[in-house]
Amino acid sequence: MILRTKDLGWSVRGKAIVSGVDLAINEGETLGLIGPNGSGKSTLLKLLGGIRQPTRGAVSLQGRDIASMPRRKVAQIIAFLEQQAETTEAITVRDAVELGRTPWLGPLQPWSPEDDRIVADALRDTDMTGFEKRQWATLSGGERQRAHLARSLAQRPEILLLDEPTNHLDIQHQLSILQLVSSLPVTAVIALHDLNQALSCDRVGVMAGGRLVALGKPEDVLSVERVTAVFGVRASIITDPADGTRLFRFHSPS
Amino acid sequence: MTVVAVHRPNVYASRLGRGALGFVVLLAAVVAGTCIGETPIPLTTVAQVLANKLLGAGYPLDPIDTGIIWNYRLPRAIVAACCGTGLAISGVVLQSLLRNALADPYLLGISAGASTGAVTVTIAGLGAGAVSMSLGAFIGALLAFLLVAGLAKAAGGGVSLQGTGQIVLAGIAGSQLFNALTSFIITKSANAEQARGIMFWLLGNLSGARWPDVWLAVPIALLGLLATIWYARALDAFAFGADQAAALGIPVRTTQVVLIGVTALVTAVMVSIVGSIGFVGLVIPHAARFLVGVRHGRLGPATAIIGAVFLIAADVLSRTIIPGQVLPIGVITALVGAPIFALILLRGRRTR
Ligand SMILES: Nc1ncnc2c1ncn2[C@@H]1O[C@H](COP(=O)(O)OP(=O)(O)OP(=O)(O)O)[C@@H](O)[C@H]1O
Ligand SMILES: [Mg+2]
Repeated sequence: MILRTKDLGWSVRGKAIVSGVDLAINEGETLGLIGPNGSGKSTLLKLLGGIRQPTRGAVSLQGRDIASMPRRKVAQIIAFLEQQAETTEAITVRDAVELGRTPWLGPLQPWSPEDDRIVADALRDTDMTGFEKRQWATLSGGERQRAHLARSLAQRPEILLLDEPTNHLDIQHQLSILQLVSSLPVTAVIALHDLNQALSCDRVGVMAGGRLVALGKPEDVLSVERVTAVFGVRASIITDPADGTRLFRFHSPS
Repeated sequence: MTVVAVHRPNVYASRLGRGALGFVVLLAAVVAGTCIGETPIPLTTVAQVLANKLLGAGYPLDPIDTGIIWNYRLPRAIVAACCGTGLAISGVVLQSLLRNALADPYLLGISAGASTGAVTVTIAGLGAGAVSMSLGAFIGALLAFLLVAGLAKAAGGGVSLQGTGQIVLAGIAGSQLFNALTSFIITKSANAEQARGIMFWLLGNLSGARWPDVWLAVPIALLGLLATIWYARALDAFAFGADQAAALGIPVRTTQVVLIGVTALVTAVMVSIVGSIGFVGLVIPHAARFLVGVRHGRLGPATAIIGAVFLIAADVLSRTIIPGQVLPIGVITALVGAPIFALILLRGRRTR
């Protein structure tokens, strides 16, 4: 149990945005979070990463209350990739990815060849080698997303919290990034909108109205009835004759 | 796989080298600021005065020359350097924390708040010493920042990228309010002589700088510089916003409180010594970014040096540009700063 929440809630101005979330995340698993817009996925991820302070309940990281841990220690364990993070600074891709080393470097500690190696690896894994000198403002949406992911990888975390990491990516990079995340020896919690991608996670959690309404194996959780109930669309499941995997098809409600 | 192997033979040696270079540039600027004036003083005379005073060399010199150099020009140049450093560094810190290219202690009303605080202390007769004035200025500066930040936040701005307009607007409102308060206090409570003195000081004026001011300005400027060096990585980490800074292991709230506190203190002390000088905090960081890039490990020290040199140069200009007249130094910094401010605005508009 690397990350666990108990009766976790966050409310703003008396309105509960996330409430009553009991979640235990196993070491090494990839957990997909799905749910409609505004269902609280991003908020839950921020709570899990200790970026937001819960207004109810608590998050424990490796058995310790995350709120009582030094931020730097948390950042050595958890990398959190925001859904939207932009900058107006004239930084290069390399500058942005080097930021991932921040939790490992003291205020006056110099940059080391080891840090160079880790940054180069992160750039390579996200297929961003060759972009080092490019200005952030000149990148496309998908390139920015891959550079953000490279920064998270450069953090060398044990836990990756990824908020819609693939929404700007072309199909090849979507597959390679998800493949990369599941092949890394890390625990990952990923907010997703593509239910077919969610089907390939180890477990899936379904958010609706700020609550975790279902949690379990994808084939158990992602039933046609539940998808219809949560997302308000008609769905059917078809089987790919090539390899027998299940796939969703959606139809607008008649 | 190609690893970008950058050879770093000795990081500490190169840091020391750059530090030494900066110090030499600073020293040269202070000496130049001491030599140049309405009556130029030869470099050798300045060197001899320094040798006499610091090493007890005992060169025979005109006591008037010695007096001008040691009691007026030298402390003035050192105070100018400290003010330049302090204001420019405050600009760098605010620009990073607020994620706003236009942030600067003057535009955000912090200088105006500091003026109000300093004037209140002076007029209320709580002691006109530099320290008590600085304390009053510090309280004024903090109040002004809290007011401006609160107003910007309530207007839906704050530190998000979308909110860049609000904080500048709130800063303008704050400046106006505190400047009006200052005028009100002066008109209501000061006698004619006090009022003239205060108005002269408010416009930014270094002619009153003496050694006691040096002993206050130097440690405060150094404090600002050390804070930016210590927090350089944290300031870098704010590039993608406070949440990402937190995700990168920065204790966001503590960092903000410490750095805003240091910025307010530095601004307040400088304002209480020389009055409020605009545009240094805005223009110098941008010039430094242009020269050394956006990473704060280099940007902080570079800004400090350039700020110091710039304000010494501005002071020299203000003393010499019109023969027989001393311009307020704020006039020079505004003449340079306003066009650059306009350029930044225009460029910001194009990239949006
Ligand atoms: N600071 C805040 N103040 C007010 N409301 C907020 C705040 N943060 C989030 N919310 C609201 O909480 C709800 C959940 O937001 P959240 O970003 O967690 O949704 P999400 O599931 O990630 O949605 P999406 O699929 O669109 O990314 C939304 O209705 C949002 O408007
Ligand atoms: Mg979201």
